[in-house]
Amino acid sequence: MGVLGLHQAAAAAYLGAALLAAAGLGLRSRRGLRGAGALLVLGAALHGAAFWRLHSLDPPPTLTQLSFALSLMAWLGTVFYLLLQLRVRSGGLAVLVAPAAFLGAVLGALAAPSGPSQLARASPLWSHLHVLLASGGLALLGLAGGAGVLYLVHHAALKSKRRGAPSSVLPSLENLDQLGAVALAAGFLLLTLGLLTGMIWLHAAEGRLWSADAHANAALLVWVAYAGVAVARFGVHLGARPLALASALGFLVLLLAGIGAEVWV
Amino acid sequence: MNLLLLGMSHRTAPLELRERYAVDDPRPALEKLVAAPEVEEAVLLSTCNRVEAVVATHRPDAARLRLRSLIERDLPAGERPSAAALEAALYEHRDGNAVRHVLRVACSVDSLVVGEPQILGQVKDAYRAAVDCGACGPILGRLFQRAFATAKRVRNETRIAEGPVSVARVAVDLARQIFERLDDKEALLVGAGEMIELALERLRAQGLARVRVANRTPARAAALAERFDASAHGLGELAELLVHSDVVLTCIAGGQPVLTPELVQGALRRRHRRPIFAIDIGVPRNVHPDVEALDGVYVYDLDDLFGVAEANAAERRREVVLDERIVLDEQRRFEGWLTALAAVPTIRALRARAEAVRRREVERGLAGLSLGDREREAVEALSRAIVNKLLHAPLSRLRQAQEGKAGLAHLEAARSLFALDEVEGSAGPDDPGEDGESGSGA
Repeated sequence: MGVLGLHQAAAAAYLGAALLAAAGLGLRSRRGLRGAGALLVLGAALHGAAFWRLHSLDPPPTLTQLSFALSLMAWLGTVFYLLLQLRVRSGGLAVLVAPAAFLGAVLGALAAPSGPSQLARASPLWSHLHVLLASGGLALLGLAGGAGVLYLVHHAALKSKRRGAPSSVLPSLENLDQLGAVALAAGFLLLTLGLLTGMIWLHAAEGRLWSADAHANAALLVWVAYAGVAVARFGVHLGARPLALASALGFLVLLLAGIGAEVWV
Repeated sequence: MNLLLLGMSHRTAPLELRERYAVDDPRPALEKLVAAPEVEEAVLLSTCNRVEAVVATHRPDAARLRLRSLIERDLPAGERPSAAALEAALYEHRDGNAVRHVLRVACSVDSLVVGEPQILGQVKDAYRAAVDCGACGPILGRLFQRAFATAKRVRNETRIAEGPVSVARVAVDLARQIFERLDDKEALLVGAGEMIELALERLRAQGLARVRVANRTPARAAALAERFDASAHGLGELAELLVHSDVVLTCIAGGQPVLTPELVQGALRRRHRRPIFAIDIGVPRNVHPDVEALDGVYVYDLDDLFGVAEANAAERRREVVLDERIVLDEQRRFEGWLTALAAVPTIRALRARAEAVRRREVERGLAGLSLGDREREAVEALSRAIVNKLLHAPLSRLRQAQEGKAGLAHLEAARSLFALDEVEGSAGPDDPGEDGESGSGA
């Protein structure tokens, strides 16, 4: 199966996972959520295979193309989510992860691979490291944002004591908070390393550390925003709900900055 | 004898209204009730979820007014609720429906959490209090004995008591939505009553890391804590205890909330805003309503637990259908007994009345005749035979009147057709006086 076929198959699996997760939450069915988890594993495997095929092209693309970068982010986010699931039970989060993964796989299927840019050719090692670290960081921060959104939903249901709220199949608040903390810590670390490797890459290619273009400025804005969230979580000990809100808003800043930078470029 | 029940429960009245009617000692109210001539017997049940008075009376309308006066004027603490709010909250049951209601309450079919075991103990306490102050007589005594038997049958013959039925179990299920695991959490129980004891048992089974019991009387807390491997504290230590407590369960008597916003806010700050799950099953409430607004605190009172329990109740509804059959069965037994109780005097009164009429009419008829003793005896025997033949069918029906509602209807019809109440109320059955029957025979 080619890159396109694998992306399409992954998108189908993710779509199935999204539908099962939504049905599982709506019908309060743990079986539905378990099915969504299984389809996510299948989708992630197919998605990973698509990237492996992409990497074996000659010459391999650097994934700096927006579509592939978003697709990579979606894949990494799914993989991190599945790995975190092994330690922190959070099945209900599939309802946010699966649609995001589906969109990423669709973007990957629509993109046409092109060769590496001149900048990437100048320093292939640092360019790969930068893309992988930054994408991984952004994916984890996306997970933290998703956990924050779900925390707010569950918190609101518990506070309002709404009858019939799907809270019994949602992850516990404690788990969502823990997942948010782990994803934020790891995501912020990877994002920081991604920024640093980006600077090294630029220095190796062009002899300067900062490009001051929209992409770099957006990345810096996101980093500053998340530095604030990290200080609030690990330094000030804000309550879990404000932290969930901060994580969700942080992800919104990330999305707006990313989209804004691309539009600007 | 009629039965009349008036009250309000979690189904009809919000907690804000119910908590004004919390009665610690029902005896003064009961003594006042039975001092009234229209109330023969009375039992007053006051729990977190209901306040109900049931009376046995020969004058149900007058007794109803007396009961309403008790609920409107004597029971409420503080400001009286508006007439409209009270009207919407009160329900009234008479005779068979009152019997059925008492049986349903005792076997927990009408409880906030269907199948919870605490209500039976509370009904027994209410019954004992009524017996202690002489308010409970043979009618209500029999009714409550029947209610206890019904509760036992329901518990033995159905699965109603299985599954998440107790308040503590619902609380544990809710706690699991906030905390992923409970074995590293600490619980604080405020109070040392029966509800707290049951909750303690359940929480211990969840393997909570540590349980503390705080009470106004530390000695009672100590006795409870010793049995469940918990630590005992006084209410003065609440501020410190809250800092370490993830799950807080309160059920303590007293008019003022023990958990105030200031106290909880301070604890939250000191525990780095880690959430607190508070279950308030006290009536009046032990957690101030403003605590609910604090971030990181999840407060569930009895009405909230009712909502959760309702959402989880589908599984047990089938059991409740079975319970209702048992309740109906036991209701029929009690009504049969009550009817039999009324049937004996009715039969006696009817016989006495017929005999009086027979004797008077025979004497009146024989007065103008000069008959010998043999003839007189023959006439007497003939009149007795006629009366006996005439009464045979109605008396047989009345003897069979112990089978449910039809029996009661027969009794009422007999008393009305033969004017037995008028006779008893005026001259007595042996002296029926002038009426249509004697007049026609003159």
